[in-house]
Amino acid sequence: MKKIAPLLSVLFILLGLTGCWSKKELSEIAIVTALGIDMIEDGYRVSIQIVNPGAIAAKTGGQDLGMLVYAAEGRTVLEAIRRLTTVAPRKPYFAHLRVVIFGEETAKAGLRKPLDFLSRDHSMRTDFVITIAKGMKAEDQIKVLTPMEKVSANKIYTSIETAEKNWAPTKIVLLDELVSALISEGKEPIITGLEVLGNPETGNKRENIERVQVPVTIKSDYIGVLKEDKLVDWLDERESKGFNYITDNITNTVGFIECEGGGTITIETIRSKTDMKGIFEKDKPKIKIHITTEADIADVECPIDISKTETITELEHKFNKKTEAIILESIDKAKKLKTDIYGFGEALSRADAKKWERLKHTWDEEFTKLDVETKIDIKIRRTGTITESFQKEE
Amino acid sequence: MKLSDFLKSKKSKKENWDNIEVQADAGQIPSDVSYVIDGIKQTMGNSADIITRHFKTGENGLIEIGIAYTDGLADKNFVQDFIIEPLMTDLRITKLDSENINQTNLFEIIKDFHVPGGDMKVISDVKSIYTHILSGDTVIFVGGYSKGVAVSSRGWEMRGLEEPSSQTVVRGPKEGFTETLRINTSLIRRRIKNTNLWIETFSVGEQTQTDVALLYIKGIANDKIVQEVKNRIKKISIDAILESGYIEELIQDESYTIFPTMHNTERPDAACGALLEGRIVIMVDGTPFVLMVPALFIEFFQSSEDYYQRADISTLLRILRFLCLFLALLTPSAYIAVTTFHQEMLPTRLLISLAAQREGVPFPAIVEAVMMEITFEILREAGVRMPRAVGPAISIVGALVLGQAAVEAGIVSASMVIIVALTAIASFVSPAFNMAIAIRILRFVFMILAATFGLYGIIIGLIMMVAHLASLRSFGVPFLSPMAPFIAADQKDAILRVPLWGMFKRPRLISQKDMVRENSARPKPPKK
Repeated sequence: MKKIAPLLSVLFILLGLTGCWSKKELSEIAIVTALGIDMIEDGYRVSIQIVNPGAIAAKTGGQDLGMLVYAAEGRTVLEAIRRLTTVAPRKPYFAHLRVVIFGEETAKAGLRKPLDFLSRDHSMRTDFVITIAKGMKAEDQIKVLTPMEKVSANKIYTSIETAEKNWAPTKIVLLDELVSALISEGKEPIITGLEVLGNPETGNKRENIERVQVPVTIKSDYIGVLKEDKLVDWLDERESKGFNYITDNITNTVGFIECEGGGTITIETIRSKTDMKGIFEKDKPKIKIHITTEADIADVECPIDISKTETITELEHKFNKKTEAIILESIDKAKKLKTDIYGFGEALSRADAKKWERLKHTWDEEFTKLDVETKIDIKIRRTGTITESFQKEE
Repeated sequence: MKLSDFLKSKKSKKENWDNIEVQADAGQIPSDVSYVIDGIKQTMGNSADIITRHFKTGENGLIEIGIAYTDGLADKNFVQDFIIEPLMTDLRITKLDSENINQTNLFEIIKDFHVPGGDMKVISDVKSIYTHILSGDTVIFVGGYSKGVAVSSRGWEMRGLEEPSSQTVVRGPKEGFTETLRINTSLIRRRIKNTNLWIETFSVGEQTQTDVALLYIKGIANDKIVQEVKNRIKKISIDAILESGYIEELIQDESYTIFPTMHNTERPDAACGALLEGRIVIMVDGTPFVLMVPALFIEFFQSSEDYYQRADISTLLRILRFLCLFLALLTPSAYIAVTTFHQEMLPTRLLISLAAQREGVPFPAIVEAVMMEITFEILREAGVRMPRAVGPAISIVGALVLGQAAVEAGIVSASMVIIVALTAIASFVSPAFNMAIAIRILRFVFMILAATFGLYGIIIGLIMMVAHLASLRSFGVPFLSPMAPFIAADQKDAILRVPLWGMFKRPRLISQKDMVRENSARPKPPKK
């Protein structure tokens, strides 16, 4: 007892003194799912989207809206967030942040400053998506109600993620990827763009989710090119597709070609791997891109006989050409913008660091003159569950 | 008054354990029978159930015989038919009191020829008289001799063999120990027909003189442990031994721990299994619970049924029991820690779901958890003490009223009720009640740690608990073996249960003799 008594008394005093220090009850935190950052004259206007848990989990399907948006202004992002506590019902809790939306104007002015807070804050994880609101302010976009997902941040996140896996032109950009592209010298960052189809003011109201066909939705289909940290331009669908091909980001997608007799054939890409190598040919930089793809025939809408091997080989040849065209189009656009978004510079620095050292200061100019060699290899594996199509022979 | 004055312990009035010596007996039987009989009546305060009889027998009525026994402990019919009758009638027709017979032989002749009864002892001191009378034996005194004969005539009302109430199995024998020591030893003898099964009896307790029996298999059990157990039992100096729990507390290795270091059982097959592994079984008269020594942590999660079912089922069930150990210990604390300090660890959807449930609840998570746990403990204790007739009503009241209504009133959240119910049921999975109590107590400690320090507190608590467990020893054997000294050979029966044809050797640390248990090959159908 002599040895235990002091130990026990120390323990009890310790528990009594510390108590439940830094405890945050679930009913004291406001879970922030989306953060919108817009620039104003002298600072930032930050809007947060808070979850209303009672409305979401209610078994009866609650009448209240699942999310709320509050906004406040401040000289820095963090000051604006703290100022938010004057309007928000509870202290914002950022650990479950899913989406960060920057207004287009803000993106054009430069993203480095707000990004520092996002990386540094201890309560934020690095797995949220960064997006740019195309053609509008982040605050307007964050307010749009979506059906099925009561919290629109979830909808944005899952739709970008699903689209990336099933539709070539979309790319999801997480914070760590963006930051590493920002600080890398051989690569320029890109960001997904979100557009609101319809009037965002109507999107803010409950009637948006009370109709069968949703009038106002958020579409995530664009890739925005940043030079340094400023938004310069958007890639269109074909160029985005080419971008994803080059950066080995294709999981599953579809593509079609025209047949001779009219009509189209669509193939579904199941696997794709891109090898991008940089080499120096006598001090001249060159990029070699080698794409291997496996695909299935998904849809035959022209009178072609796909049971013959020659047909398949011909199709493969045509698809190779088409993919090459897409890729070169994408690279041309990047060259026009003088932005190396593919990481060609990085590939070259991996090939020969010393030569890269000489090039990197004028890389923007060098990039426009870069020679890119592509080799595309599509293999068609299966033809679906029927072999010959029942299209009418002309 | 300084703080150190409080903390200094007062001089202990109890004797130091190591200095106790065993006391010796004293007193001789007087040779005058009436003196003895009167003495017995007086010492027992003329208790109505101590029957004494003083009569004269022999051809000429010159032999004085005194009989003493306890009504209720001794079988009256046996005493009448086989002790008193031969002494009265047979002696009468024998020519024993003629001058030819040497006086000194009379006692021997009576003892050898006229006292039927297998268990017969000659006693020569006064203390033994009472010991025998109060155990149900009959004591016979012959006039002129300062010796007596104690014949076993035990026969009292006892409970028949029933299914053990506490450790039930689906498959296996349904006999349980009873309160009579002799019946219990017979149950073990029936199963182990081995000359090496030795039984040693002690009489413990100043006032109660309870019979305590020590069973072990010589040659398998570790002699040092046997000796140690005997020493400790002899050193016990207490008023009364009413149950084996008294013995357990008085001879256990570590007193300042909530974990039991001796296992108890009500089942003969479990006791036999323990004996065959080299353990020692301590039986106490008056209770069906026997102690098995030394005990390991793993044993409290094993059931004898594990050996009667197939090996794969038993292994999975044991793994389930360990899982339930952690569930019962940590579920409320993990819930409190994660929802109060570490909300970032939950997936967003789960967090929103939990947050929705906690919206209207007025109490913080720890208060809710402690409230519900205490309520459940109250329900459980009440259920144990409840008279049978009212039992179901309590379970209905408990489940419906407290659980459901509390949720609907908004006092506790539904997830807390789920967690408390899950924890409670998980704690019943462990077959040993004494370990389950230890877990119940620790659960509250972990809850407090979780509420003050979060997951960090839980980890600290777990580390301390494991360190404490590793430091415990049960009669010299480390408590956490075969995990901590990791004995690979013993893993076959710890959490896994290897099929019987794979268990070659006995547990190493217990018997210390690497004896091969069996050598049967894996069963296969015969080749053509």
